[in-house]
Order: sequence, then C-alpha cells, then structure tokens
Amino acid sequence: MVDIRDFFGNKKGGSAKTAPKTTKQTPAKRSKTIAISDDDEDDIVEVSKPKRAKTEGSAPTKSEHFTKKESKAPSTAPAPVKSTPKEASKPKKKSNDDDFVVSDDDFIDLDDEDDDFFAEELKELDNLPKDRTSTRTNTTVEDKPTPPPPAKSTKAAPQTKAKPAPKPSPKKKSPAPAKSSVKSSSGGGDVTALDVLAKITDADLPEDIPTGEGFNYHAFKARQNDLPVQTGAFEIPEGAPNCLTGLTIVFTGVLPNIPRDDAEGIAKKYGAKVTKSISSKTTVVVLGEEAGPSKVRKIKQLKIKAITEEGFIQLIKGMPEEGGDGAEAEKARARREEEERKAIEESQRMQEEEEAAAKKRDAAIKKAQNSGNYANSSKLKTDSEKLWTVRYAPTNISQICGNKSSVQKLQSWLESWPSKFGNRKPQKGESELRAVLIHGPPGIGKTTAAHLVAKSLGYDVLEKNASDVRSKGLLNSGVGNILNNTSVMGYFNPEAHATAENGAKFCLIMDEVDGMSGGDRGGVGQLASYCRTTQVPMILICNDKSLPKMRPFDRVTIDLPFRRPSAREMKSRLMTIALREKIKLDPNIIDQLVQATSNDIRQIINLLSTVSSTQKTINSENSKDISEAWKKNIALKPFDIIPRLLSGQNYSKVSQVPLFKKMEYYFDDHAFVPLMLQENYLNSKPVNGNTKTKHLELVAKAADSISQGDLVDKKIHSAEQQWSLMPLHAIMSTVRPASFVAGQVGGRINFTGWLGQNSKTGKYTRLLTELQYRSRLRTSTDQTEFRLEYIPLLAKKLLDPLVSQGADGIEETISILDHYYLSKTDWDFLLEFPIGEDSTAAKLKKVATATKSKFTRKYNSTSHPMSIYKPGLSTGVNGKTKKEKPDLDEAPEDDPEPEEDLIDE
Amino acid sequence: MSNALKLELPWVEKYRPSKLEDVTGNEETISRLKLISQDGNMPHLIISGLPGIGKTTSIHCLAHELLGDAYSNAVLELNASDDRGIDVVRNKIKQFAQKKVSLPQGRHKIIILDEADSMTPGAQQALRRTMEIYSNTTRFAFACNVSNKIIEPLQSRCAILRYTKLSDEEVLKRLLDIIKFEKVEYSNDGLEALIFTAEGDMRQAINNLQSTVAGFGFVNGENVFKIVDSPHPLIIKKMILEVVQNKDIDKSLFYLNGLWEKGYSAIDIASTSFKVVKNLYEIDESDRLEIMKEIGITHMRVLEGVGSYLQLNALIARIASLKY
Repeated sequence: MVDIRDFFGNKKGGSAKTAPKTTKQTPAKRSKTIAISDDDEDDIVEVSKPKRAKTEGSAPTKSEHFTKKESKAPSTAPAPVKSTPKEASKPKKKSNDDDFVVSDDDFIDLDDEDDDFFAEELKELDNLPKDRTSTRTNTTVEDKPTPPPPAKSTKAAPQTKAKPAPKPSPKKKSPAPAKSSVKSSSGGGDVTALDVLAKITDADLPEDIPTGEGFNYHAFKARQNDLPVQTGAFEIPEGAPNCLTGLTIVFTGVLPNIPRDDAEGIAKKYGAKVTKSISSKTTVVVLGEEAGPSKVRKIKQLKIKAITEEGFIQLIKGMPEEGGDGAEAEKARARREEEERKAIEESQRMQEEEEAAAKKRDAAIKKAQNSGNYANSSKLKTDSEKLWTVRYAPTNISQICGNKSSVQKLQSWLESWPSKFGNRKPQKGESELRAVLIHGPPGIGKTTAAHLVAKSLGYDVLEKNASDVRSKGLLNSGVGNILNNTSVMGYFNPEAHATAENGAKFCLIMDEVDGMSGGDRGGVGQLASYCRTTQVPMILICNDKSLPKMRPFDRVTIDLPFRRPSAREMKSRLMTIALREKIKLDPNIIDQLVQATSNDIRQIINLLSTVSSTQKTINSENSKDISEAWKKNIALKPFDIIPRLLSGQNYSKVSQVPLFKKMEYYFDDHAFVPLMLQENYLNSKPVNGNTKTKHLELVAKAADSISQGDLVDKKIHSAEQQWSLMPLHAIMSTVRPASFVAGQVGGRINFTGWLGQNSKTGKYTRLLTELQYRSRLRTSTDQTEFRLEYIPLLAKKLLDPLVSQGADGIEETISILDHYYLSKTDWDFLLEFPIGEDSTAAKLKKVATATKSKFTRKYNSTSHPMSIYKPGLSTGVNGKTKKEKPDLDEAPEDDPEPEEDLIDE
Repeated sequence: MSNALKLELPWVEKYRPSKLEDVTGNEETISRLKLISQDGNMPHLIISGLPGIGKTTSIHCLAHELLGDAYSNAVLELNASDDRGIDVVRNKIKQFAQKKVSLPQGRHKIIILDEADSMTPGAQQALRRTMEIYSNTTRFAFACNVSNKIIEPLQSRCAILRYTKLSDEEVLKRLLDIIKFEKVEYSNDGLEALIFTAEGDMRQAINNLQSTVAGFGFVNGENVFKIVDSPHPLIIKKMILEVVQNKDIDKSLFYLNGLWEKGYSAIDIASTSFKVVKNLYEIDESDRLEIMKEIGITHMRVLEGVGSYLQLNALIARIASLKY
C-alpha cells in the first residue's frame, strides 16, 4: 500500500530544502508559549533543540509539514506566569549554535495563542472559589495573567493594552446572591464576565455521584424525562445585546423553567458559544436537575464554575453590552470585527470584480451583436439571472471554505503530475498512483475544488459525470482515446504562454463515480483500470467511498477525503453574500442554519436566496422556523434507524418521536429494518429491565412479538400478497419489540445475520436431499430422520477408521460408502453436518493429509456402485464459501423496486 | 338534479387554479413563488407535501406565469407515467437542457419532474451535474410527496419548499366557491362531512363533492358518508375510547353494531380502527401498541376470510381484557 503521505512527503521534502526559511520559523512557533516565562527558558531550549535537530537532520516528512500548524507547543507552561510581557520580549536568546533565532514577530501567533490564554483564564477562574482566603490578595498581584492582547495591536506591543486583571470579588459568596450588587456592577464600564460570574452562587454539585455498574443510565434518563418541563411560563430576561460574547457555556440536566433548547438559543442569541461537552475551555456550566454524573465529575475535576438557571438569568441581566471588558470578550469581539471587516472587504472586492465583468460583458455583447453571432449569449448572462450558488461560487482556490489541506494536497499533486508521469507509460511494478479520488458529502465544494485547482494550474478540464453514459464500451471508445491526448485548446491558444508547460495538457474529472449504475455495466472496473495507465491526470469524485462498488478504486487512487466545513469556516463567506444581497443576517444564527443543513454550504446559499425574496432580516426570531423548514430529509440507513428505535428516550411519556414516526422508520427500509432489529434487540439494556428476571421477561415479550411479526410477514410475502398488512407488520416486527427492550444500545450495531444463515439453511437442505436420495436404496426414512438418526452414526463410521488406523482404514470407509451408494464428495458433505460436540472438524484434522490424498486416489481408482439417481441437484454445491457473504449494498442499488426483492424472497 | 347531468369535466380539472394567486393555502410559500414569477430567476425547486394540496398546480401556475406563450417550447414535463429511467435523464432531459430557446431576460427553461420521489436513485444521480452545468439556461422543479426519497445531493442543490396540509377553512372556502359556480344544493353537515373526510386534501374534497352531487344531487352528511364509504373515524374513536377508558363494553358494542348495521365491511372497520388508534393520543403509547396488535390480528383474520360480526365483537372483547 502506498501511503499518500509518502507520496506528498517526497515532494514537500524537496521544497522545504529549497526554502529554508520555513524550517527556520517553525521551531520558533513551537516554543512560543514557553518563551513567555523567563524561568522556564533554559528548559525550553533543551526541549526545542532535539526537535529542531530532527527537523533539520532529516527532510521533514509530509505529515509533519502539514500538521505543524496544529501542533501545540510541547507543553503549556505549567508554572505560574510571573514575568511581565516586557521581560518576555526582551532580546531573544540564541540557542547554542547556528541560526535558530526566535524573533519578536514570530513569537506571538494569534491563532495559537487562543487556547493558552483560555487555559490561563480558566486557571484564574478555578482559583476564585478555592483561594478566597487571605492569600487571595497576594495571588492577584503575582498570578496576574497576561491579558490577551487584542488582535490588531498584538505585534506592536502586547503590554500596552494590558487590561486590569479580573478583579476577584472580595466578598465571600453569600448563599443568596445579592441582585443589587450585580446590577450596580453592570453599570460600570470595566465589568468582566468573571466579575459577574463571581457574584453568582455556585450551583450545588450533587455529592453522591453514582458510578460504576450500579448506575442505570436508562432509569436515570427516564427520570430526567419525567421531570416536569414548563414551557413558556417563565419570563426570560432581556439582556444587553451580545452580552455573553466570549463565554463558552455548557448546559446540562433539565433546567426547571426554561426548556434546554430555548436556553441554548438564548445563550447563542447573546453571543455565547454553547458546547455540549465540558472541556477546559468552558467558562461556565449551567446545571439543571438530574445533571449527568459524568458531567458533574468533569466539573469537579476541571473546577469549572457551575451556576443554576437562576444564575444564568442573573448572568444575562448582569453582563454589560458586548460582553464586558473580560479578556475573552475582547478577543471574541475582535474576532467578530475581523470577520465583519473581512466580509465587507470581500464584498467590495466582488463589487469591483463584478463591475469589471459587467464592462467586459457589455463589450462582448456588442462585439457579438456586431458580428451577428449569438451563439455565446448564454455565457453573457448578467449575474442577476444566475443562481446564487453559481454567482457566489468560489472563483479562486482561497475562496473555498474549509478543507484547505485537502485542496492544497490536490494542488501539489496536480502540479507534480507532469514531472512524474508526463508522457510516460506506466512501468511494471510502478507504485505511484496516477489518479486521485476525492470523496465527501454533497455540497461542500468537491467539484468546485477540482475544477478550480485544475484551472489554476492551467489545465483544460474534461468532465464526465453521471449524466453521461459510462459503461465499459463507451468508456473505451470515449475516455480511453483521450487518455493520451493533448488539449487542442491549450495547443493553439497563444495566451497560454504563462502556463506553457501545462497549457497543452488537460485533466479528466470523473464526477459522481458512485453514480455509475444501471446502464453503466462494467464502467467501474474499466475506469479503475484507466486509473492505472492514464497519461493525463484523473480526478475522481464521489460521495461515499465505502460503498462496495467503489472498492476497485481503493488500490489505484490516492484517497483525498473532504470534510464538511465548520460553521466558522463558512461564516465569513456567508456574511459576504448577505452583505452583497443586503440581507440582515445575524452572525449568531449561522450556526443554526449550518446545523439544520448538516454543514452544506450550497444549501445555505440556496436557503438565503429563497428566504430573502420575502424576508430581508434573518435573526434569532425567525431562524428557528427557517432551519426547521429546511432541515434535510434523508431516508435513514438501517444502521442509523436501529439506534433510534432502541433508544429508551423515544418511548418515554414526553417522547419527541410519536408512534407514527417510529412506524416511518420501518417504512424507510421495510426489508431490512425488521431483520436488523431482530439481530440487535438483545444488545440493548432495557429501561425497565432493572433485574435479570425483568430483563428476561422483556426480551421474551419482544421475541414473541417478532415471531408474530413473522406470521404477518408470511401473509404479506407469500402467495397471498396482503400488502395492506404492512402497517401491522411494522408494529409487530419492529415498533412493538423495540418498545419492550428499548434502552441503551451497547456495542455496535450488527448487520443482520439472517441472510447468511438463510442461505446456509438452503445449502444444507439441498445437500441433505441429495444424500437422502442417493442412499435411498439402503435407508428407509425421510429427510429429518436421515439427518437425526443416520448422519451422526454415518459420520462416526466414516471417519473413525481413518483417524484410528490411518491409511489402513481407507478400505473400510470406502466399503461403507459403497454400501450406501455414496460418493467421495458425499463423504465431504456428510461430515459437514454434525454440529456442536459431534462436529467433525477436530477429528478431521487428526487425519493426516497423506491419508486423505491416498483415500482420494484409492477411491478414484476403483469403480463404485451408484443408485439410479442422476445428480441434477448437485450443481454448484461445491464450495462452502458460496453465498455466505450476502452482497447487500449492491442488491437494492441495482433494483429500484425493493418490493420486488421481497416477493422473491 | 339537472346540473348533475351537465358534468363534462371532473371538477378537479375544471376548477384547477391557473394563476398562483388562486392557489389556496400555504400563503407564505405561494407569496414567495409569486415574487419569483415576477422577478424571474427561478431557483431549482423541490416542493414536497401530502397529496392534493396543490404542489403540481402551483408549479404549473409558476411556469405559465414565468414563460407565458413560450410555455409549450420551454417546459419539459415528466411525471411518473413517463419513462424516467437513467437513459431518459441522460438523453431527453440533457438534450432539452442543451436546447436553445429564446426567452426574455431572467427567464429560463423549466423542467418539471412531477412525483420525483418515484425516480430511481440512479436517475437522480444523473441529474446532479446537469442541474449545475445548465443552470444558466434551465431550471428544475420537482414535486414529491416525501422529500426523503430525493437523494441528498439533489436536495442540496434545490430550494426546498414544504407545503402543509390545508386548513379546514381553506378547503371550505374553495368548496363554497365551487358550490356557488355549480349551484349545488347542500346542507352544513354535508360540508362538514366533506371536510372531515378529506383531511386537508383538496382534491379528495372536490372529488367527493362531485360524486355526491352526481349520485344524490344533494350534499348532506349522510350522502357524503355513503359516497366515501368508510366508517366514520369519530365513531370508531368513540368505540375504542369507550372500551379502553370507560370500560363500558356494552356502549362500545353498541357503536360497533351501529356501524355493522349500516353495512360497513369488517375489513373497513378494522383498518380504520388501526389508523385511528395510531394517532389516538388519549391513550399511552405502550397501550396503543397492544391495541393495535389486537386490531391487526383481527384484520389478518378478516383477510383470511372470516369477516364476521363475531370477529369484531371478539376484537372489542380482547381490547377490553387488555391490562392497562
């Protein structure tokens, strides 16, 4: 297997050597955080030295090159930061030898800084409740954390903007928070989030954290669900706009008054970041009733401030506009401003471009009119006629949202293509791959990226997609001929001088490779073989690489996954568009839209374009409806359905999933869902199954229901064809059994074993029929009895002589075979039958291979009596492996009508 | 009675709206479509919703308003009755998308794919790039009942408009319009019955209205239910609740008897009961599952051929004996 990293690594290694500058800077970045503290300096040098040596000694591998950005400093300085920033930035030290210089400029890298400062703030936060004794005053002076410098002025002088460190509240926390004090402080200008937080009572963390195996998650969840939830009855206070900016809030448990979704909505509305799990970055946890034990443990462990719902409301009331002056708020604000600035700049740039394009277009139209040529007029459409997704499609590589590293990889791969493979036929044993396979969910810019990269490198693009027939024959005649062509466009176009070396090249983009189906017989295999021999770069694109039909590409293409871009990556782009279209888009709700469309940027742009025709403002008020209406509806796969069916929450009294919805799960894939449920229903820990007896009872009930479901199934799929019973089958085979055993699903969801077992049954039945037929002259019994009475004894008789006497037993075995008119192949089959203790596998191993082959030889050399029966049924029986692995993914794909499948079964 | 004989067209066709503003219900979505029809530049659309609420109608209206006289040239309509396999998508649709039709500025050719949820995934796959590459000249409109049968990549390319069920008032308004035009004699309980049986499905309501008029000439509750020929869900609901909540098996059997006397078949009673119980939120879900099981088993027996009154009585008895 050729690793893609190796592939890129070689190349990158080369470039790193030619540009030593990049190598020089990296160590600087690495030691950055530590350099803040004078005390630790010596250590740092030692720490960073070996790293540097490594970097210099061997050419950096590709993976290193790409991970550098993410790589954190070796350790975040654990010692309290005593130095002032000034000390830190005084003349930088040289490490013992050569050119390793940490320059002023390198040392602050805003992006990386974030985490560390957060951590620092958190430490401060931790200290608050802990050290509120007399030592507190001292520590404030000494432990004063370096205030994070605001984004813009960072490089100039970090210390100038130093804000007063969050003042610890002198008061000990009173059990009932004084509201007046919170309010008064909000009036002041220099309020930080920590100030306000400090005044809010800690929530009581539950002491008795149930742990270990005694803890029943389901009972707990059920309790959580049964807590009364009031909706709408509680008045949510109005806070200042964006007052929670910069805070990271986690909600856990059931809040007594505000439904959790709403609470999260409120927090987001005021600019806070809401996360689901507690980490060291979390500023505050809002604790509800029945909070999860693991979360509580985590809170204690990380010493994060926990407040109640009441506290949360106080927080909203107490915080001044724009999140106060706290360091995080500052930072978040700066980030937001930065984003807005970027969006505005971008939109201005686009405006300019547009004007230029409009001029060009006008000129072109005139020209076309003059020459009387209208052929091209479709290209001359104004932007207002285009779809937004076309109008705002990225026009250069830097505009692609997310997947930066993948795009970069693609670019460098394509760049190096001609030098590696140009005009060269593949040699034998060549391990370099000539094609790349991009895969990822829809709407994240795979096709766009491929086109842009090809274009930017001066390639002409030939695209084949699912709307073209791509069967084996047509691929041969169509694509096969192209693979060693050069582009006429590039050849004749005089403007292509700049990209002369690539100008005469073109690149083949095969879009939607997984869409090759139906009429594209043999296309996949043919395409895969082209990948090996192609003389032009090939870029393949698909959604799901894990499909079995994509397997031929595994070995012949470089695998390049594209991931869904995060909300942060899309934000600036979306803001730009909103600005250009004059929509008021609240940046805080982009997250919601992103979630609703599962990170599909194209869908969001479509959404904006449609919604904007009637509404010019999108904010927290209407965002919920919009995202609800635009939620993608995709038929679930059985693997996603089963966890939902078996989730205990869905059956509680306040369940969000009504009965008809559960029945819809069945109808999403009515052939497989019942089978999959039957396979997995034992893996669930039922909500009510506290004791083993109870559990057993529930399982028994479920099994009962499944078997009754089978009776219904028989009515549907047998000759009677009573399709009107489908809803009943849904209830009996799926919903009802699931309702009994629903709870927590342990382990992974298994694929149904029924299909495999079913085909095995078929095989053995066939074999049994045959054996019974052949031995008919000696036995007088039916199949069942033959299996139960004859086979165990026969197996013993036929095998024991060989085991005990070796080659001498052959005679005896053959004589028994002949007596029953059985053949040597029947001997093999017959020995497969016994199971369990009687299984012959162990005994068979004892028979020496020499004996076995001698047995075969001997048997073949003599003639044997045969019963009259001509073995018509025995075709295709040889080969145990046959059909044992059902190829399911293929089956429904090729057959558009799943019902027909069922009838066949 | 005389007007019943003048029926030349099904009323559903005769009173099908031809302008967007005549389309009933889903006001916000329709207003959005109206804006599109004025401004042009229609995005790719997916309209999803239950049957009989005006999906196809509104797409047609939109296309007519957008294209006017050019409709016959610039619109390709395919529905489930046409062959829409992968070959058609690759040939007919692609060729149409490539075709040159001169249209006013801001107007595009439109390909209407009705009942798109019945297209095979392969055919849908083949549409993906076609939709993008020719988006400057051609736009797609899909109508479907359930949007989850449309593959994700297509959903991602489209504006998804969800139509909701029509409210009773909206159905009533339209029915009254038609009644006025056709000079139908009616009683209020007849209208109520029509609306009740239609469950927000306008087409069904109009069809039932027409059938009632054709059959009886006068629209009242009794006539409507005769036409609709399924037991009244409200009676079934009463029948079930009586035995489940009040434990009054006699009362329940009385309702059942009433239905039986009217001549409803056992199969209709069983299948309607099943549907009613499915959405009977007065009863806990776990109990509902048990009741549905009993009803279903009865349904099965009826299908086997024993559709007797006794079976239905046994059903009630078994429901009564369930433990709640």
